[in-house]
Amino acid sequence: MTKVITKEDLLSWLRQLAEKYAIIAPVTSNGVTLYKSVGSSEIDKINLNFSKTELSPKNWFFPPSETLFTIVKDELPRIIPASVDREAILFGLRPCDAKGIALIDKAFLAEPADVFYQEKRDKTTLIGLACLSPCLECFCTSVGGGPADLTHLDILLTETAEGYITQATTEKGKQLLTGAPRQEKEIIPPVLPSLNLILAEGITELMPRVFNDAYWDRVADRCIHCNICAYVCPCCYCFDIRDYVSKGKIERVRSWESCQSPGFTRLAGGYDPRPTKGAHFRQRWYHKLLYFPPIFGDIKCTGCGRCVRSCPVNIDIREIITDVQRMKV
Amino acid sequence: MIEEIRNKAKELLETKTVDCVIGYEPATDNLTSRPVFIYEPSQVNRLIFDETCVHNLSKYLINRRYKPTGIVAKPCDTRGINLLLNEKQLRRENLFIIGVVCSGIRKVRFNQIENSMPTKCQYCSQHTPVIYDFLVGEPVTEAPTHNYSDITEIENMSPAQRKAFWSEHFDRCIRCYGCRQVCAGCYCYECFGDELDPLWVGIRIAPGENWVWNTVRAFHLSARCIACGECEHICPVNIPLMLVNRKLEKDTLHLFDFEPGIDTEIVPPFATYKKEDKLGTGE
Repeated sequence: MTKVITKEDLLSWLRQLAEKYAIIAPVTSNGVTLYKSVGSSEIDKINLNFSKTELSPKNWFFPPSETLFTIVKDELPRIIPASVDREAILFGLRPCDAKGIALIDKAFLAEPADVFYQEKRDKTTLIGLACLSPCLECFCTSVGGGPADLTHLDILLTETAEGYITQATTEKGKQLLTGAPRQEKEIIPPVLPSLNLILAEGITELMPRVFNDAYWDRVADRCIHCNICAYVCPCCYCFDIRDYVSKGKIERVRSWESCQSPGFTRLAGGYDPRPTKGAHFRQRWYHKLLYFPPIFGDIKCTGCGRCVRSCPVNIDIREIITDVQRMKV
Repeated sequence: MIEEIRNKAKELLETKTVDCVIGYEPATDNLTSRPVFIYEPSQVNRLIFDETCVHNLSKYLINRRYKPTGIVAKPCDTRGINLLLNEKQLRRENLFIIGVVCSGIRKVRFNQIENSMPTKCQYCSQHTPVIYDFLVGEPVTEAPTHNYSDITEIENMSPAQRKAFWSEHFDRCIRCYGCRQVCAGCYCYECFGDELDPLWVGIRIAPGENWVWNTVRAFHLSARCIACGECEHICPVNIPLMLVNRKLEKDTLHLFDFEPGIDTEIVPPFATYKKEDKLGTGE
């Protein structure tokens, strides 16, 4: 017997949860599906049949911009740290996106933890939706994930004709599920889709050998150095910090930044350690495939395929990995 | 058509007329296309041309301004070349333009070809390249028409409605600067969006800053946007940027009787001043 929740019950449960929690869920409007905050009266707007959101759910923990603290000019300067007022439920994550969050955790929660990230992370429960019809550009199974991988989720829902199979993996998830109106049913779980495989194994060992290859310059010819790949990526986390100064108030603001933007490594005086298009371009792949793995144990890619889909000039990480494998000397 | 492009590219590389030909090759979805830089005559068979060749390759010429370069260009892309020549960003003698007659391309995304044409083609009447050294296809003689029905719709909104319309779109902008990076008209050494002193726009990715970015980006392209539609096409959050661009195009046409990129010689309105220039909003 399996515990399932019907679609109607799921929505009314979410409606009920929305009274206490902030609900962040996929909503489609203007032709794009994005994770948005939905109130209890807006639960019907949640898109349960999306394939993949345009932007990843990292936005909830690592927003495009956030104020880290504010200094107000009083008799004595006061520092007001930013804080999260409500517990949240991030609903409808694909397992690949949950892995993206787990990868950012490694960098942001390592000591000393990023308190702004940690606060939001601690106050959020992750409810995933198994991915039964992956996109053609997806390759999660090649990088250690899977369409129904529940490793990084609190709860996983898998859609069947009878309703959603519910699985809780953490204490947080189990507790939340106790309030859900579920039924015991005899259910055959759906067959999980198989995905195209690429040979990502051993890529970290190969990367140092091809660092100076002309290959990077040739692929960079095509790159237009926008920030799309980094901003749609569920595990890219570079940022920039500036102060907004206005009368009597200073706000320290953190915003997304990307290794592909023109001034990323430009130093005072104008020197840039990554002076060429190729060197600039190469950084993205070396961070993902070589620099991150030895420190945090995984390559920094979830196989979600967003960068593949959104790149204006078809720079395809699957092709890059395959090309590097072929360059093996 | 493809054979003609390949043969010309081969000839250009073999005779060392150019040291690179920029064109299109199949993308990794085996369905759409992507830009390609061909340096060796033996590689010309990678070149293709079809209804998925959406990219405006003229942007790439800016990085190769001092190097002899061949380029495959649709009519709208050749307007980009003209714009850059007009603004003294390129040297004509370094260019070999393989112009391709185009009756419109298809709306494409990775792994996806739609049956409809992108907005830019729906309103385009320039089917023959405006500048070329070698032409592929039969030139079409067609009087250019102008259709701004989509713009009239926005103009007819009340200021409050218009503000709400654009707020909804600009609010979701993530300031990836894809619109700038893909634009043939955006070649400033340091963009106002990146400049720190003076600070025109803060780094915050939030409604206020997004408005500044999107409106100033558009204004910097008034009388300059050549309507290739790449900014709108690549926008990851689907902002209808061509509506702003085409509003400026319409005003430029009415105020100055000028269309950017159509001609290499006519001095663009913002590079000159005439006493009889009209003042107004283009109505």
